[in-house]
Amino acid sequence: MSYLCLENVVKTFNKTEVVKKMNLEIEKGELVSFLGPSGCGKTTTLNMIAGFLEVDGGKIVVDGKPVHLLPPNKREMGMVFQNYALFPHMTVFDNVAYGLKLRKVSKAEINQRVLEALEMVRLSGYEKRYPKELSGGQQQRVSLARALVIKPKVLLLDEPLSNLDAKLRQEMREEIVGIQKKVGITTIFVTHDQEEALAISDRVAVMYEGRIEQVDTPAAIYNHPQTDFVSRFIGEVNHIQAEVMESNDDQPCKVSFDGYQQVLSHHVPKGVLSEFYLRPEKIQINLENNQGLKVLVERKMFLGSKTRYIFLNNNQYLFADISNTVFNPDQIKEGQEVLAVWNPEDLLPVKK
Amino acid sequence: MRKKLPKFSLHFFCLLVYIFLAAPIVVVLLSSLTTTDYIVFPPKGITFKWYAELVNHPEFMQSFTLSIIVAFGTSIIATIIGTMASIAVVRYEFKGKSVITQLVGSPLLIPSVVFGVALLQFYSWIGIAASPIALVIGHIILTIPFVMRLVVASLVGFDRSIEQAAMNLGAGSLRVFFQITLPIIKSGVIAGAIFAFITSFDDLTVALFIVSTDVVTLPVRIYTYMQYQYDPIITSISSIMILLTVVLMVVIERVLGVGKVFASKN
Ligand SMILES: Nc1ncnc2c1ncn2[C@@H]1O[C@H](COP(=O)(O)OP(=O)(O)OP(=O)(O)O)[C@@H](O)[C@H]1O
Ligand SMILES: [Mg+2]
Repeated sequence: MSYLCLENVVKTFNKTEVVKKMNLEIEKGELVSFLGPSGCGKTTTLNMIAGFLEVDGGKIVVDGKPVHLLPPNKREMGMVFQNYALFPHMTVFDNVAYGLKLRKVSKAEINQRVLEALEMVRLSGYEKRYPKELSGGQQQRVSLARALVIKPKVLLLDEPLSNLDAKLRQEMREEIVGIQKKVGITTIFVTHDQEEALAISDRVAVMYEGRIEQVDTPAAIYNHPQTDFVSRFIGEVNHIQAEVMESNDDQPCKVSFDGYQQVLSHHVPKGVLSEFYLRPEKIQINLENNQGLKVLVERKMFLGSKTRYIFLNNNQYLFADISNTVFNPDQIKEGQEVLAVWNPEDLLPVKK
Repeated sequence: MRKKLPKFSLHFFCLLVYIFLAAPIVVVLLSSLTTTDYIVFPPKGITFKWYAELVNHPEFMQSFTLSIIVAFGTSIIATIIGTMASIAVVRYEFKGKSVITQLVGSPLLIPSVVFGVALLQFYSWIGIAASPIALVIGHIILTIPFVMRLVVASLVGFDRSIEQAAMNLGAGSLRVFFQITLPIIKSGVIAGAIFAFITSFDDLTVALFIVSTDVVTLPVRIYTYMQYQYDPIITSISSIMILLTVVLMVVIERVLGVGKVFASKN
């Protein structure tokens, strides 16, 4: 059994199920992100794990023991809040020491552990400050130290970086992962920033309307989305259609995108239109031969290391992101017709 | 084009208003120093003998003590009830919440004479005799709205995740209240307590309805004394009341600033 298990967890607000029979297993020391659009139930799930909300069904098990009936102060979870939630009337030292004092740890040990925790988040020397005398990033680090110093069983972070500016956000997320790995603590990280989730997680749980759509490694989530929602939500996709030419059980399946024929490794019922998602960075431009989908170059946008091309085929837009070192954008002009090509393995079948 | 008034005229007007407001207080304070045995302003000569004379009027001292005790009791109980009620009103949804909010706000709207009459009627109906306790109960009803105004103001915008953080670190709900919630809203609570104290200490109208020979608060004592005599004893004891109130206002100012208190009453 995994270290942290959610078994058929349900939460209902005013008769609407906000979290629907959720199942999730997290291994010890793992960092799992909850990623999903606003209102999909990330905070609600986290609050049920922390004990701020009661579950309306199902079980939460930590280290083999069910905890979903315990009050929050008996669960030994460390929580870091979006708005830091530091105690405004206590110094940084007292904030971090609070949990230890409640645990009746000796004064000398409190002193030592608080100083260690503050050193870990690079805030040594700030012990006597009050929260309002700190920047947002510093406050968030105090909050992290305060949660970690009690050596909780699970670390819960609810959008901990969303109040910070872009640059600091990136620094802080690396710092958090560094500390997480060093301490080896089982962690759930809530975010609606997919780049953040993909960058830091061992596994990402993509949530949608109170359900987990897919739990997988960041690469698997990106390259092998299992549901329609995950395909559309993670990264950008083009939505394209093909005509199925041939599809027999013992033969490869042939499809045609407006004349551009490709052989797929999986089978699709013959004669129907088949829909696919295709990521913009998987598309290349073919100037060598006559293979490919005929498209009109509607616009070129220079984006530094790459160029975004907006192609038009039969009134359908197709976005392509091509690295400028691979293809020199000056080779083609807006208004010109070119051939767009891709590998059939990069086609993500649309799941209905 | 409209002519702008010169700026000094605005300042001058403000000054007049301040003088008008402060004048009665200054008159009372100064005329308590007169050597004459009638009240006169400006005082003739300067003496503190009328303050010393208070010693020969034990009834004033008794009333003073009673007023302090009543105000103290009122303040403590009204603050406890008012704070708990504020938390309930701000944080929880329950049946009859709006009724309670209206009810609690009503003493601010009802003239205190009407409230005094109502209290008298009510007490005689349920058979409570005039007693300090009866007066304290009346004052509690009178002052809870003030406490609630101030405490509710400090609770609005209170970030509850701070309390969740404390729970998360292992604090039970009592601990959370006393170690986290209360310290954070303490300025509102202290201001409420002091307002309750001052309101009770200064109250004449309600107290008049609950007087008996052994329940005579200081304002009532001054009022009745004045109906028969008019000597500087009155101004000296009044001066003491004024000074006490001023000291308490200064404490409020120190705790959270008078401006904030009045702003938050809105
Ligand atoms: N106390 C509550 N009472 C009623 N409905 C609630 C309550 N808390 C949350 N909800 C509803 O439950 C759903 C999930 O909310 P939740 O806060 O978990 O979303 P989230 O995934 O954290 O979103 P965000 O990214 O915006 O923080 C929302 O539709 C929300 O309106
Ligand atoms: Mg949320």
